[in-house]
Amino acid sequence: MLSVEAVSKRYGGGNWVLREVDLTVEPGAVVAIVGGNGSGKSTLLRLMVGVSRPTAGTVSGRPDVVGYVPERFPPNERLSAAAYLEHLGRIRGMNSIAAAERAEELLERLDLQGGFDAQVRTLSKGNAQKVALAQALLVPPGLLVLDEPWSGLDADAHGVLATIIAEVAAAGGAVVFTDHRESVTRANATRIHRIHDGRIAEATAPGRAIVEVALTQSGQDTEDPGWDEVDGVLTAVTHQGQLFVRVDRDHSDALLTIALRHGWSIDSVTPEKAAP
Amino acid sequence: MIALIRYTLATTIHGQRYLAPVLLFCAGVGISSGSDSGPLPGVYALNSGILLVCATWLTMAVISVEDPTHRAITVVAARGPVKVLAATIAVSALFAVGLTIIGLGLPLLMNPRPITAADLPAGALAHLLCASLGLAVGLLCSRLVIRRQGYALLTALALVTAALLTTGSPPNTLFKGMANTNKAADVLPTAAALLPIGLAVLAVAAVITHVISIRRD
Repeated sequence: MLSVEAVSKRYGGGNWVLREVDLTVEPGAVVAIVGGNGSGKSTLLRLMVGVSRPTAGTVSGRPDVVGYVPERFPPNERLSAAAYLEHLGRIRGMNSIAAAERAEELLERLDLQGGFDAQVRTLSKGNAQKVALAQALLVPPGLLVLDEPWSGLDADAHGVLATIIAEVAAAGGAVVFTDHRESVTRANATRIHRIHDGRIAEATAPGRAIVEVALTQSGQDTEDPGWDEVDGVLTAVTHQGQLFVRVDRDHSDALLTIALRHGWSIDSVTPEKAAP
Repeated sequence: MIALIRYTLATTIHGQRYLAPVLLFCAGVGISSGSDSGPLPGVYALNSGILLVCATWLTMAVISVEDPTHRAITVVAARGPVKVLAATIAVSALFAVGLTIIGLGLPLLMNPRPITAADLPAGALAHLLCASLGLAVGLLCSRLVIRRQGYALLTALALVTAALLTTGSPPNTLFKGMANTNKAADVLPTAAALLPIGLAVLAVAAVITHVISIRRD
Protein backbone atom coordinates (compact mmCIF):
# COMPACT_ATOMS: atom_id res chain seq x y z
CA MET A 1 0.00 0.00 0.00
CA LEU A 2 1.47 3.30 -1.09
CA SER A 3 1.76 5.66 1.80
CA VAL A 4 2.90 9.24 1.80
CA GLU A 5 3.77 10.35 5.32
CA ALA A 6 4.34 13.93 6.45
CA VAL A 7 5.87 14.80 3.11
CA SER A 8 7.05 18.34 2.48
CA LYS A 9 8.74 19.49 -0.67
CA ARG A 10 10.51 22.55 -1.90
CA TYR A 11 12.93 23.10 -4.75
CA GLY A 12 16.25 24.59 -3.65
CA GLY A 13 15.57 27.37 -1.20
CA GLY A 14 12.23 28.30 -2.76
CA ASN A 15 8.74 28.29 -1.30
CA TRP A 16 7.25 25.11 0.08
CA VAL A 17 5.30 23.40 -2.70
CA LEU A 18 3.89 20.73 -0.36
CA ARG A 19 3.60 20.87 3.40
CA GLU A 20 3.10 17.89 5.71
CA VAL A 21 1.09 15.88 3.22
CA ASP A 22 -0.31 12.53 4.42
CA LEU A 23 -2.01 10.19 1.99
CA THR A 24 -2.44 6.46 1.64
CA VAL A 25 -3.59 4.73 -1.50
CA GLU A 26 -4.67 1.14 -1.02
CA PRO A 27 -4.81 -1.39 -3.87
CA GLY A 28 -7.97 -1.05 -5.92
CA ALA A 29 -8.56 2.57 -4.92
CA VAL A 30 -9.07 5.31 -7.46
CA VAL A 31 -7.98 8.57 -5.89
CA ALA A 32 -8.55 11.94 -7.48
CA ILE A 33 -6.49 14.94 -6.45
CA VAL A 34 -8.05 18.24 -7.31
CA GLY A 35 -6.67 21.71 -6.90
CA GLY A 36 -5.94 24.90 -8.80
CA ASN A 37 -2.90 25.65 -10.91
CA GLY A 38 0.30 25.60 -8.87
CA SER A 39 -1.37 23.94 -5.88
CA GLY A 40 1.25 21.17 -5.84
CA LYS A 41 -0.75 18.40 -7.58
CA SER A 42 1.92 17.50 -10.12
CA THR A 43 4.67 17.64 -7.51
CA LEU A 44 2.75 15.21 -5.31
CA LEU A 45 2.36 12.81 -8.24
CA ARG A 46 6.09 13.04 -9.05
CA LEU A 47 6.87 12.16 -5.44
CA MET A 48 4.50 9.19 -5.58
CA VAL A 49 6.13 7.66 -8.65
CA GLY A 50 9.62 8.29 -7.31
CA VAL A 51 10.84 10.73 -9.95
CA SER A 52 11.21 13.34 -7.25
CA ARG A 53 12.35 12.99 -3.64
CA PRO A 54 10.64 14.59 -0.65
CA THR A 55 12.52 17.33 1.22
CA ALA A 56 11.05 15.94 4.44
CA GLY A 57 8.88 12.90 5.20
CA THR A 58 8.74 9.53 3.45
CA VAL A 59 6.98 7.82 0.57
CA SER A 60 6.84 4.05 1.10
CA GLY A 61 5.15 0.94 -0.21
CA ARG A 62 5.48 1.80 -3.89
CA PRO A 63 4.52 -1.26 -5.99
CA ASP A 64 7.06 -2.80 -8.37
CA VAL A 65 5.31 -1.77 -11.53
CA VAL A 66 4.42 1.91 -11.69
CA GLY A 67 2.84 3.60 -14.68
CA TYR A 68 3.30 7.36 -14.92
CA VAL A 69 1.60 9.62 -17.42
CA PRO A 70 2.88 13.19 -17.16
CA GLU A 71 0.69 16.15 -17.91
CA ARG A 72 2.29 16.90 -21.23
CA PHE A 73 4.01 14.30 -23.32
CA PRO A 74 7.19 15.96 -24.57
CA PRO A 75 6.76 17.16 -28.14
CA ASN A 76 10.26 16.33 -29.36
CA GLU A 77 10.14 12.53 -29.52
CA ARG A 78 11.47 11.51 -32.90
CA LEU A 79 10.88 7.78 -32.53
CA SER A 80 7.64 6.41 -33.92
CA ALA A 81 4.86 5.52 -31.49
CA ALA A 82 5.38 1.80 -32.14
CA ALA A 83 9.18 2.00 -31.75
CA TYR A 84 8.97 4.14 -28.62
CA LEU A 85 6.56 1.74 -26.94
CA GLU A 86 8.61 -1.27 -27.98
CA HIS A 87 11.70 0.28 -26.38
CA LEU A 88 9.83 1.11 -23.18
CA GLY A 89 8.36 -2.39 -23.07
CA ARG A 90 11.85 -3.84 -23.26
CA ILE A 91 13.05 -1.46 -20.53
CA ARG A 92 10.21 -2.84 -18.42
CA GLY A 93 11.50 -6.36 -19.03
CA MET A 94 9.29 -7.57 -21.89
CA ASN A 95 10.77 -9.23 -24.96
CA SER A 96 10.56 -7.39 -28.29
CA ILE A 97 7.69 -9.43 -29.71
CA ALA A 98 5.53 -9.21 -26.59
CA ALA A 99 6.23 -5.48 -26.29
CA ALA A 100 5.32 -4.83 -29.94
CA GLU A 101 2.11 -6.85 -29.67
CA ARG A 102 1.05 -5.16 -26.45
CA ALA A 103 1.85 -1.73 -27.91
CA GLU A 104 -0.27 -2.41 -30.98
CA GLU A 105 -3.13 -3.72 -28.85
CA LEU A 106 -3.09 -0.59 -26.66
CA LEU A 107 -2.79 1.84 -29.55
CA GLU A 108 -5.68 0.15 -31.34
CA ARG A 109 -7.78 0.26 -28.21
CA LEU A 110 -7.01 3.95 -27.71
CA ASP A 111 -7.62 4.48 -31.43
CA LEU A 112 -4.39 6.32 -32.16
CA GLN A 113 -4.77 8.47 -35.25
CA GLY A 114 -1.85 9.53 -37.41
CA GLY A 115 -0.16 6.17 -37.77
CA PHE A 116 1.69 3.85 -35.42
CA ASP A 117 4.85 4.36 -37.47
CA ALA A 118 4.72 8.16 -37.55
CA GLN A 119 7.14 10.08 -35.35
CA VAL A 120 5.47 10.91 -32.04
CA ARG A 121 6.35 14.59 -32.45
CA THR A 122 4.21 14.78 -35.60
CA LEU A 123 1.12 13.58 -33.71
CA SER A 124 -1.48 15.94 -32.30
CA LYS A 125 -1.49 16.63 -28.57
CA GLY A 126 -4.32 14.17 -27.91
CA ASN A 127 -2.67 11.41 -29.90
CA ALA A 128 0.69 11.98 -28.19
CA GLN A 129 -1.21 11.70 -24.90
CA LYS A 130 -2.50 8.31 -26.03
CA VAL A 131 1.08 7.16 -26.57
CA ALA A 132 1.94 8.40 -23.07
CA LEU A 133 -1.01 6.48 -21.69
CA ALA A 134 -0.06 3.32 -23.59
CA GLN A 135 3.51 3.32 -22.22
CA ALA A 136 2.14 3.36 -18.66
CA LEU A 137 -0.03 0.30 -19.37
CA LEU A 138 2.47 -1.92 -21.21
CA VAL A 139 2.84 -4.01 -18.06
CA PRO A 140 -0.30 -3.99 -15.89
CA PRO A 141 0.64 -1.43 -13.23
CA GLY A 142 0.36 -1.86 -9.47
CA LEU A 143 0.19 1.91 -9.30
CA LEU A 144 -1.04 4.07 -12.15
CA VAL A 145 -0.45 7.78 -11.79
CA LEU A 146 -2.03 10.13 -14.30
CA ASP A 147 -1.52 13.88 -14.41
CA GLU A 148 -4.53 15.53 -16.05
CA PRO A 149 -5.04 12.54 -18.32
CA TRP A 150 -8.22 13.79 -19.94
CA SER A 151 -6.78 17.01 -21.28
CA GLY A 152 -6.50 16.82 -25.03
CA LEU A 153 -8.20 13.44 -25.39
CA ASP A 154 -11.23 13.19 -27.64
CA ALA A 155 -14.66 12.02 -26.43
CA ASP A 156 -14.15 8.40 -27.55
CA ALA A 157 -10.86 8.19 -25.71
CA HIS A 158 -12.51 9.61 -22.57
CA GLY A 159 -14.67 6.53 -22.35
CA VAL A 160 -11.74 4.18 -23.01
CA LEU A 161 -9.67 5.93 -20.35
CA ALA A 162 -12.47 5.64 -17.80
CA THR A 163 -12.74 1.93 -18.58
CA ILE A 164 -8.98 1.45 -18.35
CA ILE A 165 -8.91 3.15 -14.93
CA ALA A 166 -11.72 0.89 -13.74
CA GLU A 167 -9.91 -2.18 -15.08
CA VAL A 168 -6.61 -1.32 -13.38
CA ALA A 169 -8.44 -0.82 -10.09
CA ALA A 170 -10.42 -4.05 -10.54
CA ALA A 171 -7.15 -5.94 -11.10
CA GLY A 172 -5.91 -4.70 -7.73
CA GLY A 173 -3.91 -1.72 -8.95
CA ALA A 174 -4.11 1.67 -7.29
CA VAL A 175 -4.91 4.66 -9.47
CA VAL A 176 -4.16 8.29 -8.66
CA PHE A 177 -5.11 11.05 -11.05
CA THR A 178 -5.56 14.78 -11.12
CA ASP A 179 -8.11 16.84 -12.94
CA HIS A 180 -9.64 20.21 -12.36
CA ARG A 181 -13.15 19.31 -13.52
CA GLU A 182 -15.62 18.17 -10.89
CA SER A 183 -17.64 16.09 -13.34
CA VAL A 184 -14.62 14.01 -14.34
CA THR A 185 -13.32 13.39 -10.83
CA ARG A 186 -16.76 12.57 -9.49
CA ALA A 187 -17.40 10.10 -12.26
CA ASN A 188 -14.17 8.16 -11.93
CA ALA A 189 -12.78 8.39 -8.42
CA THR A 190 -13.67 6.42 -5.34
CA ARG A 191 -12.10 9.16 -3.23
CA ILE A 192 -11.34 12.80 -3.80
CA HIS A 193 -8.64 14.84 -2.09
CA ARG A 194 -8.50 18.57 -2.42
CA ILE A 195 -5.10 20.20 -2.41
CA HIS A 196 -4.68 23.87 -1.74
CA ASP A 197 -1.54 25.87 -1.13
CA GLY A 198 0.53 22.70 -0.63
CA ARG A 199 -1.78 21.21 2.00
CA ILE A 200 -4.05 18.28 1.35
CA ALA A 201 -7.55 17.96 2.75
CA GLU A 202 -9.19 14.82 4.13
CA ALA A 203 -10.79 12.60 1.52
CA THR A 204 -14.35 13.16 0.51
CA ALA A 205 -16.43 10.51 -1.15
CA PRO A 206 -17.64 11.62 -4.52
CA GLY A 207 -21.12 12.97 -3.80
CA ARG A 208 -22.88 11.11 -6.54
CA ALA A 209 -25.47 8.45 -7.00
CA ILE A 210 -24.68 5.97 -9.72
CA VAL A 211 -26.77 3.18 -11.14
CA GLU A 212 -25.44 0.18 -12.98
CA VAL A 213 -27.75 -1.04 -15.71
CA ALA A 214 -27.26 -4.49 -17.23
CA LEU A 215 -28.64 -4.93 -20.73
CA THR A 216 -28.81 -7.71 -23.30
CA GLN A 217 -29.70 -7.61 -26.95
CA SER A 218 -33.23 -8.92 -27.30
CA GLY A 219 -33.15 -9.77 -30.99
CA GLN A 220 -31.99 -8.92 -34.48
CA ASP A 221 -33.44 -5.41 -34.35
CA THR A 222 -31.28 -4.25 -31.47
CA GLU A 223 -29.36 -1.07 -32.32
CA ASP A 224 -26.37 0.52 -30.64
CA PRO A 225 -27.34 4.08 -29.76
CA GLY A 226 -23.69 5.00 -29.02
CA TRP A 227 -23.72 4.47 -25.28
CA ASP A 228 -20.73 6.68 -24.45
CA GLU A 229 -22.55 9.63 -26.00
CA VAL A 230 -25.72 9.26 -23.94
CA ASP A 231 -26.15 11.88 -21.19
CA GLY A 232 -24.86 10.84 -17.80
CA VAL A 233 -23.09 7.66 -18.97
CA LEU A 234 -19.78 7.10 -17.17
CA THR A 235 -18.70 3.77 -18.63
CA ALA A 236 -20.21 1.18 -20.94
CA VAL A 237 -18.52 -2.22 -20.94
CA THR A 238 -19.54 -5.50 -22.56
CA HIS A 239 -18.92 -8.55 -20.43
CA GLN A 240 -19.94 -12.09 -21.39
CA GLY A 241 -22.67 -10.96 -23.72
CA GLN A 242 -24.11 -8.44 -21.30
CA LEU A 243 -23.66 -4.73 -21.55
CA PHE A 244 -23.04 -2.93 -18.26
CA VAL A 245 -23.66 0.78 -18.33
CA ARG A 246 -22.82 2.93 -15.33
CA VAL A 247 -24.94 6.03 -15.39
CA ASP A 248 -25.65 9.02 -13.17
CA ARG A 249 -28.90 8.47 -11.18
CA ASP A 250 -30.33 11.69 -12.61
CA HIS A 251 -30.05 10.31 -16.13
CA SER A 252 -30.86 6.64 -15.54
CA ASP A 253 -34.55 6.87 -16.46
CA ALA A 254 -33.74 8.53 -19.73
CA LEU A 255 -31.14 5.86 -20.42
CA LEU A 256 -33.66 3.08 -19.82
CA THR A 257 -36.05 4.71 -22.25
CA ILE A 258 -33.35 4.88 -24.89
CA ALA A 259 -32.39 1.26 -24.27
CA LEU A 260 -35.96 0.02 -24.67
CA ARG A 261 -36.53 2.12 -27.74
CA HIS A 262 -33.43 0.61 -29.41
CA GLY A 263 -34.60 -2.90 -28.75
CA TRP A 264 -32.49 -3.78 -25.69
CA SER A 265 -33.76 -5.90 -22.87
CA ILE A 266 -33.12 -4.70 -19.31
CA ASP A 267 -31.71 -7.42 -17.04
CA SER A 268 -31.10 -5.43 -13.89
CA VAL A 269 -30.81 -1.95 -12.44
CA THR A 270 -28.53 -1.74 -9.41
CA PRO A 271 -27.73 1.38 -7.40
CA GLU A 272 -23.96 1.55 -6.85
CA LYS A 273 -22.84 2.15 -3.31
CA ALA A 274 -20.76 5.26 -2.78
CA ALA A 275 -17.25 4.43 -1.61
CA PRO A 276 -16.70 4.90 2.11
CA MET B 1 20.24 -2.48 -19.01
CA ILE B 2 20.74 -3.51 -22.66
CA ALA B 3 17.19 -2.30 -23.37
CA LEU B 4 17.97 1.10 -21.85
CA ILE B 5 21.19 1.41 -23.82
CA ARG B 6 19.36 0.52 -27.04
CA TYR B 7 16.67 3.09 -26.27
CA THR B 8 19.21 5.81 -25.44
CA LEU B 9 21.16 5.00 -28.59
CA ALA B 10 17.99 5.15 -30.71
CA THR B 11 16.86 8.51 -29.30
CA THR B 12 20.38 9.91 -29.65
CA ILE B 13 20.67 8.86 -33.27
CA HIS B 14 17.18 10.11 -34.13
CA GLY B 15 17.88 13.35 -32.25
CA GLN B 16 20.85 14.14 -34.54
CA ARG B 17 22.50 16.38 -31.96
CA TYR B 18 25.45 14.01 -31.93
CA LEU B 19 26.27 15.00 -35.52
CA ALA B 20 27.90 18.35 -34.78
CA PRO B 21 30.57 17.03 -32.38
CA VAL B 22 31.20 13.96 -34.57
CA LEU B 23 31.67 16.11 -37.68
CA LEU B 24 33.86 18.54 -35.76
CA PHE B 25 36.03 15.64 -34.67
CA CYS B 26 36.32 14.23 -38.18
CA ALA B 27 37.22 17.66 -39.57
CA GLY B 28 39.78 18.27 -36.83
CA VAL B 29 41.36 14.85 -37.28
CA GLY B 30 41.35 15.31 -41.05
CA ILE B 31 43.38 18.49 -40.70
CA SER B 32 45.77 17.14 -38.08
CA SER B 33 46.44 13.99 -40.09
CA GLY B 34 47.63 15.86 -43.19
CA SER B 35 50.92 15.23 -44.95
CA ASP B 36 53.21 17.63 -43.09
CA SER B 37 52.01 17.03 -39.56
CA GLY B 38 55.09 15.19 -38.30
CA PRO B 39 55.55 11.87 -36.51
CA LEU B 40 52.60 9.72 -35.46
CA PRO B 41 52.78 10.24 -31.65
CA GLY B 42 52.42 14.01 -32.11
CA VAL B 43 49.43 13.53 -34.44
CA TYR B 44 47.79 11.17 -31.95
CA ALA B 45 48.33 13.71 -29.15
CA LEU B 46 46.55 16.38 -31.18
CA ASN B 47 43.68 14.02 -32.10
CA SER B 48 43.27 13.08 -28.44
CA GLY B 49 42.99 16.76 -27.53
CA ILE B 50 40.25 17.21 -30.14
CA LEU B 51 38.54 14.10 -28.78
CA LEU B 52 38.41 15.62 -25.29
CA VAL B 53 36.50 18.64 -26.62
CA CYS B 54 34.18 16.52 -28.79
CA ALA B 55 33.50 13.91 -26.09
CA THR B 56 32.40 16.71 -23.76
CA TRP B 57 30.03 18.13 -26.36
CA LEU B 58 28.79 14.66 -27.30
CA THR B 59 27.97 13.71 -23.71
CA MET B 60 26.06 16.96 -23.17
CA ALA B 61 24.18 16.28 -26.42
CA VAL B 62 23.31 12.68 -25.46
CA ILE B 63 21.88 13.84 -22.13
CA SER B 64 19.94 16.78 -23.53
CA VAL B 65 18.18 14.66 -26.18
CA GLU B 66 15.66 13.60 -23.54
CA ASP B 67 13.87 16.52 -21.98
CA PRO B 68 13.10 16.31 -18.24
CA THR B 69 9.54 15.01 -18.64
CA HIS B 70 10.69 12.35 -21.04
CA ARG B 71 13.44 11.33 -18.68
CA ALA B 72 10.88 11.09 -15.87
CA ILE B 73 8.93 8.49 -17.86
CA THR B 74 12.11 6.53 -18.58
CA VAL B 75 13.18 6.71 -14.93
CA VAL B 76 9.81 5.31 -13.81
CA ALA B 77 9.96 2.53 -16.43
CA ALA B 78 13.54 1.65 -15.43
CA ARG B 79 12.64 1.85 -11.72
CA GLY B 80 15.23 4.42 -10.79
CA PRO B 81 17.57 7.06 -12.17
CA VAL B 82 20.87 5.19 -11.70
CA LYS B 83 20.36 2.84 -14.65
CA VAL B 84 19.19 5.68 -16.87
CA LEU B 85 22.36 7.67 -16.12
CA ALA B 86 24.49 4.55 -16.62
CA ALA B 87 22.89 3.98 -20.04
CA THR B 88 23.64 7.59 -20.99
CA ILE B 89 27.28 7.15 -20.00
CA ALA B 90 27.46 3.85 -21.89
CA VAL B 91 26.11 5.43 -25.09
CA SER B 92 28.49 8.39 -24.82
CA ALA B 93 31.35 5.95 -24.26
CA LEU B 94 30.30 3.93 -27.34
CA PHE B 95 30.45 7.08 -29.46
CA ALA B 96 33.80 8.00 -27.92
CA VAL B 97 35.21 4.56 -28.78
CA GLY B 98 34.00 5.03 -32.35
CA LEU B 99 35.75 8.39 -32.52
CA THR B 100 38.89 6.83 -31.03
CA ILE B 101 38.99 4.36 -33.92
CA ILE B 102 38.65 7.23 -36.39
CA GLY B 103 41.33 9.22 -34.55
CA LEU B 104 43.74 6.30 -34.68
CA GLY B 105 42.96 5.10 -38.20
CA LEU B 106 42.57 8.29 -40.23
CA PRO B 107 46.23 9.45 -39.94
CA LEU B 108 47.35 6.05 -41.25
CA LEU B 109 44.86 6.07 -44.12
CA MET B 110 45.46 9.64 -45.22
CA ASN B 111 49.21 9.66 -45.14
CA PRO B 112 51.38 6.55 -44.90
CA ARG B 113 54.14 7.16 -42.38
CA PRO B 114 56.55 5.08 -40.32
CA ILE B 115 54.74 3.20 -37.59
CA THR B 116 56.19 1.36 -34.60
CA ALA B 117 54.59 -1.34 -32.50
CA ALA B 118 54.02 1.08 -29.63
CA ASP B 119 52.34 3.81 -31.68
CA LEU B 120 48.85 2.36 -31.72
CA PRO B 121 48.70 1.32 -28.03
CA ALA B 122 50.08 4.69 -26.91
CA GLY B 123 47.66 6.54 -29.21
CA ALA B 124 44.74 4.43 -28.02
CA LEU B 125 45.58 5.07 -24.36
CA ALA B 126 45.84 8.82 -25.01
CA HIS B 127 42.48 8.80 -26.82
CA LEU B 128 40.78 6.82 -24.06
CA LEU B 129 42.23 9.09 -21.35
CA CYS B 130 40.85 12.14 -23.16
CA ALA B 131 37.53 10.40 -23.85
CA SER B 132 36.99 9.60 -20.18
CA LEU B 133 37.90 13.15 -19.13
CA GLY B 134 35.65 14.55 -21.86
CA LEU B 135 32.77 12.35 -20.65
CA ALA B 136 33.40 13.53 -17.09
CA VAL B 137 33.29 17.22 -18.05
CA GLY B 138 30.23 16.58 -20.23
CA LEU B 139 28.37 14.96 -17.34
CA LEU B 140 29.20 17.78 -14.94
CA CYS B 141 28.09 20.41 -17.47
CA SER B 142 24.96 18.54 -18.60
CA ARG B 143 21.42 19.67 -17.93
CA LEU B 144 21.28 17.27 -15.00
CA VAL B 145 23.77 19.45 -13.11
CA ILE B 146 23.66 22.92 -14.70
CA ARG B 147 20.18 23.85 -15.84
CA ARG B 148 21.07 27.02 -17.71
CA GLN B 149 22.68 26.27 -21.03
CA GLY B 150 24.77 29.45 -21.16
CA TYR B 151 26.45 28.71 -17.85
CA ALA B 152 26.86 25.07 -18.82
CA LEU B 153 28.68 26.04 -22.03
CA LEU B 154 31.00 28.49 -20.25
CA THR B 155 31.80 25.98 -17.53
CA ALA B 156 32.46 23.28 -20.11
CA LEU B 157 34.81 25.58 -22.03
CA ALA B 158 36.68 26.52 -18.85
CA LEU B 159 37.03 22.89 -17.71
CA VAL B 160 38.12 21.61 -21.12
CA THR B 161 40.68 24.40 -21.48
CA ALA B 162 41.98 23.72 -17.98
CA ALA B 163 42.23 19.98 -18.62
CA LEU B 164 44.21 20.51 -21.84
CA LEU B 165 46.43 23.44 -20.96
CA THR B 166 47.15 23.24 -17.22
CA THR B 167 50.74 22.10 -16.74
CA GLY B 168 50.72 18.78 -14.93
CA SER B 169 47.18 17.75 -15.88
CA PRO B 170 47.11 14.15 -17.19
CA PRO B 171 46.42 15.04 -20.85
CA ASN B 172 48.90 17.92 -20.79
CA THR B 173 51.64 15.71 -19.34
CA LEU B 174 50.98 12.98 -21.87
CA PHE B 175 50.76 15.37 -24.86
CA LYS B 176 54.11 16.95 -24.01
CA GLY B 177 55.67 13.51 -23.84
CA MET B 178 54.14 12.49 -27.17
CA ALA B 179 54.95 15.72 -29.00
CA ASN B 180 58.61 15.59 -28.02
CA THR B 181 59.35 12.06 -29.16
CA ASN B 182 59.09 10.03 -32.29
CA LYS B 183 59.34 6.78 -30.36
CA ALA B 184 55.97 6.03 -28.81
CA ALA B 185 57.49 3.31 -26.64
CA ASP B 186 58.95 6.09 -24.45
CA VAL B 187 55.51 7.41 -23.46
CA LEU B 188 53.71 4.08 -23.22
CA PRO B 189 54.30 3.65 -19.44
CA THR B 190 53.12 7.22 -18.73
CA ALA B 191 50.00 6.70 -20.86
CA ALA B 192 49.22 3.41 -19.13
CA ALA B 193 49.63 5.02 -15.72
CA LEU B 194 47.43 8.02 -16.56
CA LEU B 195 44.41 6.14 -17.98
CA PRO B 196 43.24 4.87 -14.55
CA ILE B 197 43.28 8.49 -13.35
CA GLY B 198 40.99 9.44 -16.24
CA LEU B 199 38.61 6.59 -15.44
CA ALA B 200 38.60 7.54 -11.76
CA VAL B 201 37.73 11.14 -12.65
CA LEU B 202 34.88 9.83 -14.82
CA ALA B 203 33.56 7.68 -11.96
CA VAL B 204 33.65 10.61 -9.52
CA ALA B 205 31.92 12.85 -12.07
CA ALA B 206 29.19 10.23 -12.55
CA VAL B 207 28.57 10.02 -8.81
CA ILE B 208 28.47 13.83 -8.46
CA THR B 209 26.05 14.07 -11.41
CA HIS B 210 23.78 11.43 -9.89
CA VAL B 211 23.73 13.05 -6.45
CA ILE B 212 23.08 16.55 -7.79
CA SER B 213 20.43 15.42 -10.28
CA ILE B 214 18.35 13.57 -7.68
CA ARG B 215 18.62 16.49 -5.28
CA ARG B 216 17.33 18.80 -7.98
CA ASP B 217 14.26 16.73 -8.76
